Amino acid sequence: MSGVAIVDYGINNVRSVRNAVEYCGFDPVVTHDAGAIADASHVILPGVGAFGDAMSNMRARGIDEILELHVREKGKPFLAVCLGMQLLAKTSEEHADDGVLHRGLGWFDADVLRLMPNDQALKIPHMGWNMVAKERNHPILDHIRESNLAFYFVHSFAMRCNAPEDVVGYAQYGQQVTAIIARDNIAATQFHPEKSQDSGIELMSNFLRWNP
Amino acid sequence: MLKKRLIPKFLLRDGRLVKYVRFFENERAAGNPVTTAKVYNDYGVDELIVLDIVPSEASRHRVVEIIERMSEEIFMPFTVGGGVKTLDDVNALLRAGADKVSVNSEAVRRPEFLREAARTFGDQCMTVSIDYKKISPNHASVFIDGGREHVALDPIEWARRCEDLHCGEVLLGSIDRDGTMSGYDLEMIHRAANVLSVPLIVSGGCGSLQHAIDALEAGASAVAISSMFLFTDHSPIKLRSHLFSRGLEVRASSSSRN
Repeated sequence: MSGVAIVDYGINNVRSVRNAVEYCGFDPVVTHDAGAIADASHVILPGVGAFGDAMSNMRARGIDEILELHVREKGKPFLAVCLGMQLLAKTSEEHADDGVLHRGLGWFDADVLRLMPNDQALKIPHMGWNMVAKERNHPILDHIRESNLAFYFVHSFAMRCNAPEDVVGYAQYGQQVTAIIARDNIAATQFHPEKSQDSGIELMSNFLRWNP
Repeated sequence: MLKKRLIPKFLLRDGRLVKYVRFFENERAAGNPVTTAKVYNDYGVDELIVLDIVPSEASRHRVVEIIERMSEEIFMPFTVGGGVKTLDDVNALLRAGADKVSVNSEAVRRPEFLREAARTFGDQCMTVSIDYKKISPNHASVFIDGGREHVALDPIEWARRCEDLHCGEVLLGSIDRDGTMSGYDLEMIHRAANVLSVPLIVSGGCGSLQHAIDALEAGASAVAISSMFLFTDHSPIKLRSHLFSRGLEVRASSSSRN
């Protein structure tokens, strides 16, 4: 097993993630090929874009089934970022204009809802640097001081987890924002570690050395 | 709580970092953009804005190259713009490593473009950049094409319209104050922050630590700073610790990080 597979599912800027993996000293492969994902030591599901399009692109390329096999069944270490994290939920109401929710991968008992901060002055998208408060420790947060858990967020929707034990950390933005979730070999961040300077690079580096 | 952002603003001309006063006067060379960006990265700034101020077919390629090189070693958000007119332009910059693309003149000429780009790439990817100038004591107006062309739009009305067109952020810049280091246009910032629901980055006039405090207290989500960082000894580190000690919500400084 070698290399880090960065899952390519269409309209998705993966350059920053790829650069960050290289910067951490690992060899990234941007791919949607089943063989390449099978060969990789670690898998990253990045994400920029809209939920509905992302899911249909994933299904059209069979990526949902590839990930089901290699991540869920075979236990390959997996990190999902931003929209990638949201895709792990059961449903999303993003652009569900006709009232029909989009279906996600359903790996977590969670739903993606529009951010509704309880303060009119808070702007949407939630964009910028915010602190994450840990609910518990996790190997991807090793060596990062609590005062340095500031990460770069850009999103208008967020995951609501029904299983509190899946949540590693929350941010506050006029509401609780699920920032990091993890279970077994799977971890996911709502923020962009690849855009979060030292703390983000440390997190990615921890992930790339993680062998759950 | 979301942190207020400190954002160096880079102006590129033929791939060189430059700085003017009031957009056209007193051009000064300000170094190599990639090297300067690395220095700012070490200072722990929150984001970078890179604008190609004399866009051409050739400069477009240079900007893409510069952003590609920056994104290899610098892991923070980039907003990139200048001469963006088509979805392909937006896509090329995002692929190069930009997180947000700034649109200015083309949004005025063709508002539908902004909506289309937001629909294609996501609202959060589209920053609308608005340059304005006072045309009478009580009246400001939008200027496009790098401050060359006057259009009959009120900057705040236009910003609100851009919000309706799904821009994710507004970069509001005073041409009168650009490069003067005489302080931000606080009245305009206050008015804009009160009516906009998207984040507001303000630009033009920062020359002292207090100026940045004033703008953030007037309601800006982020301050864009060019001259002060390039030409004074007020570094991002100094600004950040000053803001932090005054109780403003900024990230802890990089010097206190390790």
